[in-house]
Amino acid sequence: MTDTATPARSLDQGTTPLRFARGWHCLGLASAFADGKPHAVHGFGTKLVVWQGGDGELNVLDGYCRHMGGDLTQGEVKGDHIACPFHDWRWGGDGKCKEIPYARRVPLRARTQRYETVVRNGQLLIWHDPEGSAADHEVLPPELPDVMSDKYTPWSWHTREINGSHCRELIDNVADMAHFYYVHFAFPTSFRNIFDGHTATQFMESKGRPDTMGGGYGDENSTLKSVATYYGPSYMINWLEVDYKGFVTEVVLVNCHIPTGPESFTLQYGISVRKPEGLDEQTCAYIAERYTQSFGDGFLQDVAIWENKVAVQNPLLCEEDGPVYQLRRWYEQFYVDVADIKPEMTDRFEFEVDTTKANEYWHAEVAENLAKRAASEAAAPADA
Amino acid sequence: MASFVPTSAETLADLRRYTEDRLVEVACLDCLARVRVKKNSDHHTSVQWSAEARSACQELGRRDQGPGGRDVHKPCARLMASIDDAVRAGAVPVGAYDGY
Ligand code: FES
Ligand SMILES: [Fe+2]
Repeated sequence: MTDTATPARSLDQGTTPLRFARGWHCLGLASAFADGKPHAVHGFGTKLVVWQGGDGELNVLDGYCRHMGGDLTQGEVKGDHIACPFHDWRWGGDGKCKEIPYARRVPLRARTQRYETVVRNGQLLIWHDPEGSAADHEVLPPELPDVMSDKYTPWSWHTREINGSHCRELIDNVADMAHFYYVHFAFPTSFRNIFDGHTATQFMESKGRPDTMGGGYGDENSTLKSVATYYGPSYMINWLEVDYKGFVTEVVLVNCHIPTGPESFTLQYGISVRKPEGLDEQTCAYIAERYTQSFGDGFLQDVAIWENKVAVQNPLLCEEDGPVYQLRRWYEQFYVDVADIKPEMTDRFEFEVDTTKANEYWHAEVAENLAKRAASEAAAPADA
Repeated sequence: MASFVPTSAETLADLRRYTEDRLVEVACLDCLARVRVKKNSDHHTSVQWSAEARSACQELGRRDQGPGGRDVHKPCARLMASIDDAVRAGAVPVGAYDGY
């Protein structure tokens, strides 16, 4: 019997949203902005200006002056204010124009787009909401007091621009069990998701593959226990316990992003490592650098996929896949008006992936790869 | 306002299939929480809570009061045990006849 009952499945690429997510977004390490100079950060379809005023406050405004569109990021900090390079209008962190040096008075309507700021865990976070609501401090990511103490190495912070993908591709990783084997070269031995309110968590245990040269997740000598939670649409804290040949290191990874356009975003990640006891500062810094390198490589493995894939609104799933649909239902809450958030977007949802069969198949495949490699090494002269 | 808009009706059918099909109600043996459960295999479990169930679970309520951070979101052990009981009693069918 021919299979006429199952028509070819089409890929629904959907349409990407016209707005950017509501929530806290991290712009980078607060210390990077604290030099009394204006800084440009691309985000939310525009350019933002970030500066520290004479009073020590960090401020974030839309980067373009409401007078004649001058680029405030090329201006100058004067006192607590940012001065536009075009006609020297002075803007305050509250979004109001404070002074026009050549004018009798400042127009009452002289207000620009400002973003509420919070410094958390040494990073500058801003509240973005297309509806213009006041910042919701209840949904800030938690503080990491240990990480901010000298028990941990200082944040090693990195930034990477991603073009041609909506940032939801990055979020999809939360529910994607199988890609850890194929893209990050690790066996995910245990995998669970929990979505609850504004948080989405992935609990994973994994072990590196012996047949690949992968760093990070893919080192055959290391076993990982990972808890990664998104607090809102763009800020994830990942607690990692890495067991490398019996030597356990606690690593905290912050993975966050700022959408820059409908199909682009800036990925930022920072790594801090609990200093192993009895090691000097230099060795601790070396260990932190190694983890930064390897998890950074891990992101690049994802980027290579995103840059070449298409968006898909109707993923086709098998039994071993994670709850992509529920994850996206959760993510949707940040893209609709608050009044339109449906209960199922925030209701708690738990999912445990059955990884047993997948790992059986993968172990067989790896054994085969190792046997092939051994055979070709035996056949080829060692110094070829 | 919808955000990620599907372009076909089948996508909405998929959404229903993956998020709503085969959910079976299970009551916690220790509190008033009633959740909906799906099991594709012995090791797989999918648990859909409602706001009402969430507020009935004291274990989760306690964790909400504590400081945020690692592990606060993990499952309630008593509910998981109740689900295991329901599965043993045959109340929750195990298996993915529809491939998921
Ligand atoms: S455009 Fe900024 S002061 Fe005129
Ligand atoms: Fe990934």
